[in-house]
Amino acid sequence: MDLNQLEEQLARIKAEAEALRQEADGIDALRSAETRLTKGPLADVLKSIKAFPPDQRGPAGQAINKTKQEIKQLFADAQSRLRQADVVGEQKKTATFDPTLPPPITQRGSLHPVTAVQREVERLFRGLGFAVVGGPEMETDFYNFEALNIPEMHPARDAQDTFWLTNGWLLRTHTSPCQVRAMERFGPPIRVIAPGRCFRYEAIDASHENTFFQLEGLLIDKDISIAHLIAFMKLLLREVFGRDVKVRLRPGFFPFVEPGFELDMSCMICDGVGCATCKKSGWVEILPCGMVHPNVLRYGKIDPHEYTGFAFGLGLTRLAMMKYGIADIRILNSGDLRGLAKADRLSGATI
Amino acid sequence: MKSYHFDVMGSLMISNFGRMSRFHGGDFTGIRFWYMICQNAAENREPGIMIISYNWLKDFVDIPTGLDPRELALQFTTTTAEVEDVEHVEPNFSGLVAARIESVRQQAGEDKLKTVIVDAGKRYTTLSTAPDIVAGSLVMYAPPGATVGGHTVGTTDPQGRAAEGMIVAGQGIGLVQVGANAMFLPPSYRPSQSIDAAPFDDWLIEIDNKSITHRPDCWGHYGIAREVAAILKRPLKPYDVTPTSDLQNGLPAIPIEIDDPALCPRYSGLLMKGLKAQPAPLWMQVRLALCGQRPIDLLVDLTNYIMLELGQPMHAFDGERLPNIEVATAEPGETFTTLDGVTRTMPDHTLMIQCNRKSVAIAGVMGGAETEVSEGTSTVLLESANFDAPTVRRAATAMGHRTEASSRFEKSLDPENTIAGIARFHRLAAHELPDLQLASTLSDCHPSPRVPHPIELDCDFTSRFIGKAVTPEEIIEILERLEFKCERRGAMLRVTPPSYRATKDIEIEADLIEEVARFIGYNAIEPALPRVSARHLEESPALVLEERTLDYFCVGNEFVEVHDYIWYDDDWVKTIGFDPGECIVLQNPAAENCPRLRRTLIPGLIAFAERNRHHLPKFQLAEIGSVFEPGHDEVTQSQHRRLGLVVAQQGRKADAEVWKRLQRILDGWSQQVLERPLQYQATQATQPWEDAGRIAEAVVAERRIGRVTILPLAIKQKIDERLKSWSIAVAELSLTAVTDLIGHHEKLPTVSKHPQAELDFSILIDASRRYADTRKELAAFEHPLQRRVSFIDSYEGGSIPAGKRSLTLRALIGLDDRTLTDEEIQDFQATFKRFLKSHDMELRGE
Repeated sequence: MDLNQLEEQLARIKAEAEALRQEADGIDALRSAETRLTKGPLADVLKSIKAFPPDQRGPAGQAINKTKQEIKQLFADAQSRLRQADVVGEQKKTATFDPTLPPPITQRGSLHPVTAVQREVERLFRGLGFAVVGGPEMETDFYNFEALNIPEMHPARDAQDTFWLTNGWLLRTHTSPCQVRAMERFGPPIRVIAPGRCFRYEAIDASHENTFFQLEGLLIDKDISIAHLIAFMKLLLREVFGRDVKVRLRPGFFPFVEPGFELDMSCMICDGVGCATCKKSGWVEILPCGMVHPNVLRYGKIDPHEYTGFAFGLGLTRLAMMKYGIADIRILNSGDLRGLAKADRLSGATI
Repeated sequence: MKSYHFDVMGSLMISNFGRMSRFHGGDFTGIRFWYMICQNAAENREPGIMIISYNWLKDFVDIPTGLDPRELALQFTTTTAEVEDVEHVEPNFSGLVAARIESVRQQAGEDKLKTVIVDAGKRYTTLSTAPDIVAGSLVMYAPPGATVGGHTVGTTDPQGRAAEGMIVAGQGIGLVQVGANAMFLPPSYRPSQSIDAAPFDDWLIEIDNKSITHRPDCWGHYGIAREVAAILKRPLKPYDVTPTSDLQNGLPAIPIEIDDPALCPRYSGLLMKGLKAQPAPLWMQVRLALCGQRPIDLLVDLTNYIMLELGQPMHAFDGERLPNIEVATAEPGETFTTLDGVTRTMPDHTLMIQCNRKSVAIAGVMGGAETEVSEGTSTVLLESANFDAPTVRRAATAMGHRTEASSRFEKSLDPENTIAGIARFHRLAAHELPDLQLASTLSDCHPSPRVPHPIELDCDFTSRFIGKAVTPEEIIEILERLEFKCERRGAMLRVTPPSYRATKDIEIEADLIEEVARFIGYNAIEPALPRVSARHLEESPALVLEERTLDYFCVGNEFVEVHDYIWYDDDWVKTIGFDPGECIVLQNPAAENCPRLRRTLIPGLIAFAERNRHHLPKFQLAEIGSVFEPGHDEVTQSQHRRLGLVVAQQGRKADAEVWKRLQRILDGWSQQVLERPLQYQATQATQPWEDAGRIAEAVVAERRIGRVTILPLAIKQKIDERLKSWSIAVAELSLTAVTDLIGHHEKLPTVSKHPQAELDFSILIDASRRYADTRKELAAFEHPLQRRVSFIDSYEGGSIPAGKRSLTLRALIGLDDRTLTDEEIQDFQATFKRFLKSHDMELRGE
């Protein structure tokens, strides 16, 4: 074979490559065509190089290599064109895809507004070293009244219109029974909160429920003062509402604290102007609190000369109403999802 | 003007009016209503609001004229007790005069309308519908030209009938308590004398009774005035009474005998002659009416006035019938007729007022019918006593008969007020009745007067307890302003509270610190966080379980958390055909149809589902709540926490879908929260919401913890025919039953370095055979190569013969130290197939 014959042969291979490229209908076909050429005819020509006289072997080798590179480039370009076409194809196909569409209507989960607020308060108090404890909803007279310094014929029982049971027990009227239960369980010093459901025998309207949630708080340690109580209460409201809340502290009577206070916050339904929720006063009673009465400490087997403490009963239900702007308390126990979950969670995105 | 709870009493009064003929012929029938007006019609509950008249307060304190009553109310709220509302009332009339009624003639064919001739300096003929006017009465009258409620009175009535002027009805001039009745005037008025409008110009301060249950001294205007004086740092004027020396006159005393002074620390009485039935002075009637009491006549109004002023209830007996007084406990089962005509059985230990051992009144609650003041009585025995608070409260509560008197006595009144009450009564009555005479000396049985009980107050502790430095001088200044006596020894004070604070209110050091702190001003205390002792207190696992469960269902999945009441609605229970069985029962349910505490959450959740299906095409509900089981000795054993779930979707063919969704989510809960598998076992339907063929028990850690079912057609038909087009699955699980499983952590599997083999087996079983049973049989299979066998799929129909079901199982086999050989794999396959065949599980395709 001489160089001319080689050139002819290489030209045939190139023509074949061109034909194969045109036939190939995809990346895989291109790859196999290329392999077939390089391992087949091209490899054969390379072997024939030995038949050349030594002085022509150099130019022959160069010619073969050049063709090899050309074929490689030919297939690489073809592959690249195909890939590009795929991309364009996908872009065409997705031209009408609208990434701004909301998802189809689905149900979404939702905690009860009271639970959601309860979680926030719990997180705050856990951060302050309080433990969360529970207590029974059906209680004994002892824990609900007697141990809280409210003996049987005490008029303060009027303020706690009680659901009595025929078995002699009652539905707790507040979460305060958890105070003595916690004292019995832990002994001093104590830092606990006890969220839970409470019950009062009273007529229901937009701002009164017979079934509602409170969150009891109890801190007992050495040298606890009224100033400490106020600091905790302000911190609590600021954290829950994410800003300073206008509050006022005034005397309140609860036999299990001495002195006792009512902490009112400016009504968030009406911004303090006066509405049904705040009984037109602009203020909402949200935090009855006080210094634990020495008798209660004694019931809890704690020496009142050694320890003092404060307790509070946060109105969780009312707090949830303030926080979520719920004007009618009755929605909370209604099971009516339209009022309990945001509309977006129930029936698709709002336009 | 608002009407309060007293309205109901007002109507009680009106209904009894037929028996009353007022203010003519010296009739005392009005007395009948003395205790009745004290009776609170809202059965067994206290009146909610106390109304304080600003004018009345000004009798006792010189309030600066520039002070806005609303500002004072605010200071009262932050120092003493919450003021609910402050309301300004003003006279809405001018030109009113006194008029004597000369004649009353019923209009023919008219129910209420009368032609009345009055003398108001000049004779006028007018029309009136006032129910109780008779000739001779003195009334408030609007002559032509006067104005009432913005209208000028002329010579015709609104219907155009001839009527010169008009007889003013109480409600027409803002006294709602008086209603449509005329305003009667005492005999001191002369016809044409003009009416002073000043008493009608007042501010009314409303205080919630619940906020002063601990302050017996604040149950009257004088006590409130005392607080106001301390707030404003102004002197309190002495209580204007007849000096007791004038009442101790050498006449015989009323014999008074108290069996047990612990139940009646003090009983004071005075016999008076020359009382007459006549209207109280107008200013007194106006104050009473503005404060919610309906004016009746002088004697009744005086007792009510002093009750609202001093907080001391009193009772008037027919003096002729009571030669002596005894205070004793009722005989067991004793019956007694009170002056409202009701005969009641006295609860045990009820304290009675007796005369010759015959009961004449229920101490502190209500007088008796037999000794009530009646027509022709001119001698009255005025009782002013002090009774043991729990005794009165127990009696009034047990007989369901709370009165204004009992509401005050149960607060532990100051025994000093018995004498003050009588002396005040005499002062006011003598002013109105020139012929009033004493028929006894001031009689007072006070066997063991209270010894003042000083309390030690540590000034340093006071500062520490308040969290603000307070000097002994400041403390003494505040306490003395409140009439406490202080003896100082260095940093220690010996403090003696005044008698009106000493009955129960002020007992210990903390009570004194409260007095100091509230007058320093709570809002003047600088907040500071305390130093506290670090301590770990273990939280209850039950709460952790509930929190994680709610997070799983309502945050991680698509459930909306709901809360239901804890009692069954009997009507609903009947609708769904549910027998609630034995339940813990409320004595006083919120409504008649809900006395039973729930033992399951499901009926309520079904009601919620029914409520929501009107608005939503699909929804999922979750509730965590308490259920209550009768028959236990401890409250903690008698209540359990449950989780209730509803998966509901429109479409009657979605039963399988909602069932699968509920199961899938429950499975995830068990795996994620309890870290244990949840399995099902067959059971019988026992409740109307359970479907006989589609009910299973959920089992975790070999405990049966709850039930899952599809609502059957029958219950849907009972609720609403349209519910048929819904598919609803419900589940109820006991969280109490798995609380101890919290904190369990399943070890994670080790990953073998050598390949494992997965082998699928499809078996045919009878379609009626439950997977739970098959699973138990499969669980018995053991093989050294087996790592686990899992359920993949269940399939019916298609190529599966009728009555059969195909189950696909997947076995994972392998060894930790080497790759399995083909022979080993084949051997396992053969062994497992033999096992299946031996348990009547036919292999598909073999």
